[in-house]
Amino acid sequence: MGKYDILVDEMEAKLRPPTIGLKPYEPKVIPLTTGEDMLVRPASREETEMVLDGIKVLLDHQKDFYDIVSARIVAELLGMLRYRVQDEYLLIGCVDGEIAGIVNGRMVNEKIGMSYHTMTLKRGARVGAQLFAAKMEYHFDFMNQDEVWIVAESPNGFKRWMIEYELESRPQCPHELGGVPTFVLTRALWEKHKANKNVGIRPAFEDAIEANKVVHMPAKISV
Amino acid sequence: MEQMYAYKCKKCGKLHHPRYIVCQNPDCDGREFEALPLEGKCKLLTWTRVYNLPEGYMMPWLNFGVVEFENGVRATGQIGFDDGIESGMELVSTVGVVRTRRILYKESIDCEEYGFIFQKP
Amino acid sequence: MRQVGIVGVGHTKFGKSNVPFLDMLCEAALLAMDDAGAKTGRRNVIDQVFVGSMGAGMVNRVSGAASAVVDSLNIRPAMAETVENGPASGASAVKLGVMAIASGMCDCVLAIGGEAMREVSGWEGTDFVATMLHPTAEYKYGLTLPSFAGMFTRLCMTRFGVESKDLSIVSVKNHDNACQNPVAHIQRPVVLERITNPTYINATNPIVADPLRQFDMCPVSDGAAAVLLVAKDKQEELGFGHKPFVRVAGIASATDTHVVANRENPSDLLAVRLSAEKAYKMAGMKPEDIDVAELHDAFQILEIEESEETGLFPRGQGHIAARNGDTKVDGKMPINTSGGLKAKGHPLGATGVSQIIELVRQLRGEAAGRQVEGAKTGLAINFGGFGNNVVATILTTK
Repeated sequence: MGKYDILVDEMEAKLRPPTIGLKPYEPKVIPLTTGEDMLVRPASREETEMVLDGIKVLLDHQKDFYDIVSARIVAELLGMLRYRVQDEYLLIGCVDGEIAGIVNGRMVNEKIGMSYHTMTLKRGARVGAQLFAAKMEYHFDFMNQDEVWIVAESPNGFKRWMIEYELESRPQCPHELGGVPTFVLTRALWEKHKANKNVGIRPAFEDAIEANKVVHMPAKISV
Repeated sequence: MEQMYAYKCKKCGKLHHPRYIVCQNPDCDGREFEALPLEGKCKLLTWTRVYNLPEGYMMPWLNFGVVEFENGVRATGQIGFDDGIESGMELVSTVGVVRTRRILYKESIDCEEYGFIFQKP
Repeated sequence: MRQVGIVGVGHTKFGKSNVPFLDMLCEAALLAMDDAGAKTGRRNVIDQVFVGSMGAGMVNRVSGAASAVVDSLNIRPAMAETVENGPASGASAVKLGVMAIASGMCDCVLAIGGEAMREVSGWEGTDFVATMLHPTAEYKYGLTLPSFAGMFTRLCMTRFGVESKDLSIVSVKNHDNACQNPVAHIQRPVVLERITNPTYINATNPIVADPLRQFDMCPVSDGAAAVLLVAKDKQEELGFGHKPFVRVAGIASATDTHVVANRENPSDLLAVRLSAEKAYKMAGMKPEDIDVAELHDAFQILEIEESEETGLFPRGQGHIAARNGDTKVDGKMPINTSGGLKAKGHPLGATGVSQIIELVRQLRGEAAGRQVEGAKTGLAINFGGFGNNVVATILTTK
């Protein structure tokens, strides 16, 4: 049994959330400006554990709000690993076996997606922007949802998502991260912006898949 | 100010935009100008669409251009439409709010500033 | 006129820094003083300090930076002034140092340039840099420096046939050079195909100010750089006889219209041409004498156009030279061996001094990994405003 696994007895079965059934996200390769290929794919349960433990070093890293974002992701991934959140997913971007960035979120129901967080571990190569687009692609083009609710917890996030995607302001919407005004990426806005924002090569190159079969966190996270 | 002006040197007649202190004609030293409305048809000399806007502009992009009016005066301003912008095209100048500047006194005051917004004729 | 030269250089690592602004200036100053062997306290020989910075007051809430530095370094009662000339503040500080020594008022001057821009958000920084534009004819519209660079690039594309890919070629070259420069902000190679391939260009290299893309412009950086200037006739006496004397053969600046639209030909960089002509004249040199150049590539188009306006290439041929590889370290006319503003970074006030330091390193033969063999004379162009105040510097060991 893994670190976060739980024996499923009658009570535990009652506590577990239902599912609408997550469809698989087909891996893709995104070319980075450095010439490296970044593979974006869902994280396995073991990899999710590794990410959860790996980002704990950022809990006191105030710069660019890495502290808030890492603390939130730790809680979110723990909720996922301990089966307390409905239909949560984690996508990872990896370069040569090293995790360059992560994005997560969940499906509220068949129509509405809840975007959680985007965290870049390899900065300066547009990893975060690419992963955010991949996450939206999962909600709209794989899960066929109508809209995704989004909040920004850092100025960088606000600039990237709210302004660049022209997100619809819907402060009355209760985003799960609480307190922060909610913005919404509607299908119409996604269709308008996806050509410029969402890239990737499918099927993913065999060598990129092979190079990222076993992944690890960066030995030293310098963000 | 919802009217934009060209400034004509009272000594040599050279037209200026914006307002200068001393006439820009190298052979003239005029310091008095007559304000004449600067408006109407103009030609787009060059343009850009900027996605990385400064503090205070909450929009994904804005279009800017440099135009030349029929009287030869050039001006820079915003372009008020997105589709079919091309260097050399004919435009017409309008005046609108180009920035809302927040002035911080004891309480903040929003001050609207007017400028050129070029449109299709 | 008295001969003035550089005997010490100091350069902080450019990039995002957590070091407070004044400390950064002092770090660069001490590196330059140690390089030359200049002492502090009772043994100080520095008569004057000039600090070049654009945003000290506006961004860092620090005024009187030069006075503060003199005190921190314990070189009182040296004279101290802070100078502001936009992104050309650094070269202006050096120019004033040369003027002070050449006039006989001083024998030894420390010129420092520095900027801590990343203390504020990117869009606040963009706004702050834009304050040097004309307040009513430009700035109030939301126009920024990238906006003008975009409009300028479009004019150059039409006039000279410059293509988007040419800008990428310059960018890739500068990234390669920066990989060999330990103080560069971005020491990472960029692959040309990755930033030009039409199938994914909008994601890997998005448009920022059409037709300019992200890799066609410099990053926002913190950093400081300093040079120690001394009179040739005092070099021995002041204790710098052991250091090579890199002579400032020519230094000059020129101005152009504040309102870019009102230039006779808005695709010319008149102040670059005029400042370079004055510097060549002062040095008694011609473009053919230049072995290596540091040009102000805040936008990649500027490297191309400045290489023409300074006479290094015929007008309209700069982009062809870049395509042919002539501007690489081993090319006919190496440009931006430091990585340029594109990859070495562009902490506004520091840039002009940093360019001069790269030339000193080249002329001393200390530019390991990016050394231009046998370089004896170098040219730097530091570009202020959108080209309305430009400083040209020629250094030589001849």
